[in-house]
Amino acid sequence: MMTTINAFLAAKGIYLLTLILLSLGAAGIIVCNNYMKKLICMNVMQVAVIFFFLCFGQKTGGTIPVALSEVVKASEYINPLPHGLMLTAIVVSLGTTGVGLSLLFRITEKYGTIEEDDLIRRENKTKTGEKE
Amino acid sequence: MTLILEAILLLGLIGITVAIIFGKDLMTSVVIYCAFSFITMFLYIVMGAPDVAFTEAVIGVISTVFFIIILRSVNRKTK
Amino acid sequence: MTIIMLIVVITVPFIAFDVLPAIGDPESPPNSHVSDYYIEHAIDECNSPNMVTAVIVDYRAFDTMFETTVMFLAGISVVLIMANKPRRRIPSPGDFKRTRNTGGTPIYQTINKDVMISTIEPLILIYAMYVLFHGEVSLGGGFQAGALIGMTYLLDVMAVKRDKPIMNLTKFMSAAIAGLGPFIYALTGIICFIGGGLYLQYNKLPFNIHEAELHSIGITAVEIGVTIGVAGTIITILNALRERISFDDDND
Repeated sequence: MMTTINAFLAAKGIYLLTLILLSLGAAGIIVCNNYMKKLICMNVMQVAVIFFFLCFGQKTGGTIPVALSEVVKASEYINPLPHGLMLTAIVVSLGTTGVGLSLLFRITEKYGTIEEDDLIRRENKTKTGEKE
Repeated sequence: MTLILEAILLLGLIGITVAIIFGKDLMTSVVIYCAFSFITMFLYIVMGAPDVAFTEAVIGVISTVFFIIILRSVNRKTK
Repeated sequence: MTIIMLIVVITVPFIAFDVLPAIGDPESPPNSHVSDYYIEHAIDECNSPNMVTAVIVDYRAFDTMFETTVMFLAGISVVLIMANKPRRRIPSPGDFKRTRNTGGTPIYQTINKDVMISTIEPLILIYAMYVLFHGEVSLGGGFQAGALIGMTYLLDVMAVKRDKPIMNLTKFMSAAIAGLGPFIYALTGIICFIGGGLYLQYNKLPFNIHEAELHSIGITAVEIGVTIGVAGTIITILNALRERISFDDDND
């Protein structure tokens, strides 16, 4: 029993912690009332996904993917393909954060608040005000 | 050995996320987000991805500065 | 309703656990099909010891072109969103309490202007050029160099008072600079048509040099495009936010 748990944790234990981080980020988006905290939790989710991708390219005892003249076999280098894809993902997330923050500024200018229940209450009040 | 180090850093990240969700002041969340970015940079180095770590270090700083600029025009106290 | 969503979001990822490959296995499916070819042929085909640069700029150059375009689009979107006339809104009672002078110092009085402009910024720019041109020999590349140049502009803006800036760009000028990046990238691909090759095939550039050097020239030209695109986007977003929000007066 203990050996199977040990084997499971050594081979796939990191995925558990990554999934916990991803679900915490998603729960943070749903639970938080403030729009700025939702943006920060979105960045937390993105870090969890990038770490999950980088886990695939690991090789035990491998070295970083810069070619040396002593090491010749291909199974001694860490896989460079996920690194390239994740480089793009990090830079694109910067652009997404910038666009999200400019939308936040426009919301503040129009409504004066960034708490979600204040906003919904004010929208409902103007709607029922116009209907009557 | 590497796995134990990764597990410790990941537990630190989970603790930081809980602190972000339950913070009362928005400046607290933004400063802790800067620490979050710093610890993920260490995590990427331990996993053997130095290119990704370099990029994360530079972009984490710029992203935090964007958040702080917006914070000056928004009400800082949350309920 | 919130509780049902939370339960679904938290428990669904834990279902599929035996499909994932074991960590550290050199024979797992992501490590065995095409990555071995990239690792073994990175030096003799692309002339770059850094395998990550060889993958993103030579073997998968098409993806990086669209990534640069997406960065430029993000810069344009921020300019378009913040392009309205500022409306005077009726101030709520909380506004007067918030802008009370609490005695903090503005940013330009806490940074030593002479040291920053004459010593620190040129060093960062030299480092950014080094990272850009050595991206294929050691770690580095276009993304890191572009972000470093953007950070230099950020320091420059913070060190001087607002009405006397040193490098004053409006948001439209910096969006035009950001657009130069994808243009240079696509131009390199079109020049490869002249020599008789496919799009972005660096072997067939029409210069009269040894074949390994042609790959180096192609990679450097493309990385310059990526650098200008990323640096221009960061400067654009900063300028667009700075016109409406001032962060160097003495309120806190």
